[in-house]
Amino acid sequence: MSTLQERRTLLDLTAGLLNNDGAQERARPDTLWLNLLAANAIPLVATFALVWLATISLVFVSYFVPLNLVSLAYMLPVVVAATQWGLGLGVVAAVAGAAAADFFFYPPLYSLVIRDPQNVVDLILFLLVALVASNLAARLKSEVVVSNRREAEIKELHAFSQGLATCLNSRDLIFAVQDYLSNALRHRAVLIAKVQEDLGGDETDGVPAQVRREAVKLIDTNALRASAVTDPRSRKTWLVRVILPDILGYGAIAVELGDALGEGTETAAQHIETLLDEATLTLKHLKVKEAIEQATINYRTEILRDALVGGVSHELRSPLTSILGSCSVLNQMPAIANDGQAKSLVEAVADQAGQLDNEIRDLLNATRITAKGVHPQLTWTDPTDIVSGALKQKERRLASHWVTLDVARDVPLVHVDSILVEQALGQLLENAAKYSPIGSEIKISSRCDGDHVVLSVQDQGSGLTPDEKQHLGKRSFRSDRHALGVCGSGLGLWIASTFIAANGGSLCAESAGPNLGTTMSLRLPVVLADTPELADALND
Amino acid sequence: MTKVLVIDDEAQIRRFLRAGFELHGFTVLEAETAAAGLKAATMTPVDLIILDLNLPDLEGSEVLERIRSWSNVPVIVLSIHADEHEKVRLLKLGADDYVVKPFGISELLARGDAALRRHLRSTNRDPVVRAGPLSIDLVSRMVTLSGKRVQLTRKEYALLHGLAAHAGLVVTHQQLIREIWGGHAGNIQYLRILVRKLRQKVEVDPTRPAMIVSESGVGYRLDQGAAANTVGGEFRTARMTHNVR
Repeated sequence: MSTLQERRTLLDLTAGLLNNDGAQERARPDTLWLNLLAANAIPLVATFALVWLATISLVFVSYFVPLNLVSLAYMLPVVVAATQWGLGLGVVAAVAGAAAADFFFYPPLYSLVIRDPQNVVDLILFLLVALVASNLAARLKSEVVVSNRREAEIKELHAFSQGLATCLNSRDLIFAVQDYLSNALRHRAVLIAKVQEDLGGDETDGVPAQVRREAVKLIDTNALRASAVTDPRSRKTWLVRVILPDILGYGAIAVELGDALGEGTETAAQHIETLLDEATLTLKHLKVKEAIEQATINYRTEILRDALVGGVSHELRSPLTSILGSCSVLNQMPAIANDGQAKSLVEAVADQAGQLDNEIRDLLNATRITAKGVHPQLTWTDPTDIVSGALKQKERRLASHWVTLDVARDVPLVHVDSILVEQALGQLLENAAKYSPIGSEIKISSRCDGDHVVLSVQDQGSGLTPDEKQHLGKRSFRSDRHALGVCGSGLGLWIASTFIAANGGSLCAESAGPNLGTTMSLRLPVVLADTPELADALND
Repeated sequence: MTKVLVIDDEAQIRRFLRAGFELHGFTVLEAETAAAGLKAATMTPVDLIILDLNLPDLEGSEVLERIRSWSNVPVIVLSIHADEHEKVRLLKLGADDYVVKPFGISELLARGDAALRRHLRSTNRDPVVRAGPLSIDLVSRMVTLSGKRVQLTRKEYALLHGLAAHAGLVVTHQQLIREIWGGHAGNIQYLRILVRKLRQKVEVDPTRPAMIVSESGVGYRLDQGAAANTVGGEFRTARMTHNVR
């Protein structure tokens, strides 16, 4: 959110600067000649100064050496003026140079009359060469300007397309487009959707209500012409125009022209419209519309998924809480406790409800992993506590199996997210109970193997075929052998291996073959933990 | 008779809680909203409050804070969040313990019992805490296991004392670290090692701890024998054997 606000502020600032520029432009006199003169005053003075400088230098040199090719020296101001300020001032420099040469250097001196025909030819030649040279220089100059502008445009477009590529959702994309249009138009531009929720329900873009209403009206009537609206409160004029659906599929654009302009509004509006046509054409080429549509779809999918996850979590687990809780009370009631048949029925209900709860948890976990990934919070954990926690979690599931523990006393602490690892180990226990006969042994062991702590669950169950072993841990994988007999979603082991991988560990399966049992192991990395501080901290 | 106030907006959950508590001799008051719950708690003196966190009119944690502003009545929180940070936050706000939905009535009763006992101890000043074969005299600082005296280092005793003062209830890692090392000197790694050392002295089988029980991501709990027998064991008890190398 903060980046959007920053962007907003930046946009506002830019808009403010641009508006100030506009105000200066408008302050100038309207008459064309005066306008032209005002715009060229400094270059004109500079051109005359150059000619003056050339004359002074020549006068100075002529005291020491007789000068022959005076006119050549006046080429310098001509070339400089033409390259710097264009053809017009090049011509001015040529004429001024010719006049100065005649006045100061061609006899009779200090008069515009020329006595020697040779000097007349000289001067005419100078003027011809100067005009051609200034024309060439000016053309070169304008080509440089054009190519510079093109380079700047390409850079801007490149930055824009890169900006588009980093946008994650339609909201960001729309802000990027707004930024681009604001730059291209040199005025603040805001995109207005017909339905505001498409933008994520933003009402803080600073567009006056009246402008927004006009935009919606234009969208509704599909009007092709632009419309200028002056906001009575801020006295700012906005230009509103519908954007054709094949360009953005978006609605309308409002361009802030600045303070109420009076007669100048129309010219400014026309200018902006021309620029807008160019800019929207660029957007069309860049397929911005498609990008925004895709991003909007993604945004809605995400909202739906979140709603579904939240809904499933509450709506399904809440009745399960009642069912499991009620079963636990029923089980303690003397009437049920003393009636074997009733008791076993209550137990069946509780078992099934517990199973359902487990499946829902898997579903929620899987959705969360897909949507957000796993972000483990690593802390020092005793593997003994992980084993105890997982056993407690699956106590009921393991009730009809023979559980044995083979725990090494010297297993080092591990630096993991204990909750994730506990859930993963719980899943291995769940699978062992699910795929091995009632009454068979399930052996849990923990040991240190080099720089890894290994937690294993060994069962006497249905084992693994080579094919099953290869696909184990893939999302939604279920073996054909168990498709009918044992219920499950195939998510459990995938979740477990994802959780373990996020903790820097790995999950592996061993089996001598079908019906020969399975050993599933979690390998967790050991980080060197013994420090002198540790010994100090434990001493009294 | 012990009076328990159940604040939960779901009628089905209130119904089984009433049945469960009444079966064990409690008198039950029910409240459907936070407002009704707070009113009931101020009007009638209750011994225990069961508070659901998802109430329609007010955040559960807000209700907890309001209760704690004038009363230290034991409060057990019912939470659907498996979010450990949330649990730690609630414990910090003054909840005596939490139970994550779905749960069995025995688990809730065990937590409730522990909270009531702690509350009673603070008023009766009974110095001896028992957990299975372990007995801790909080005044004379004497610890015995099946009648035999256990020698503990000062830090081991501080850890055991921290747990025993809240016997049956979860104590957060941070709280224990603060009590043992004070200030910022301790960390969870030290605590884990210290727990391991203490378990070797007081647990019958340190690789399958029955008394000093870890609550993943939250803290530790001194599980008292009576409670341990009922927690999670209302249907069947797993047959377990141990084979320690």
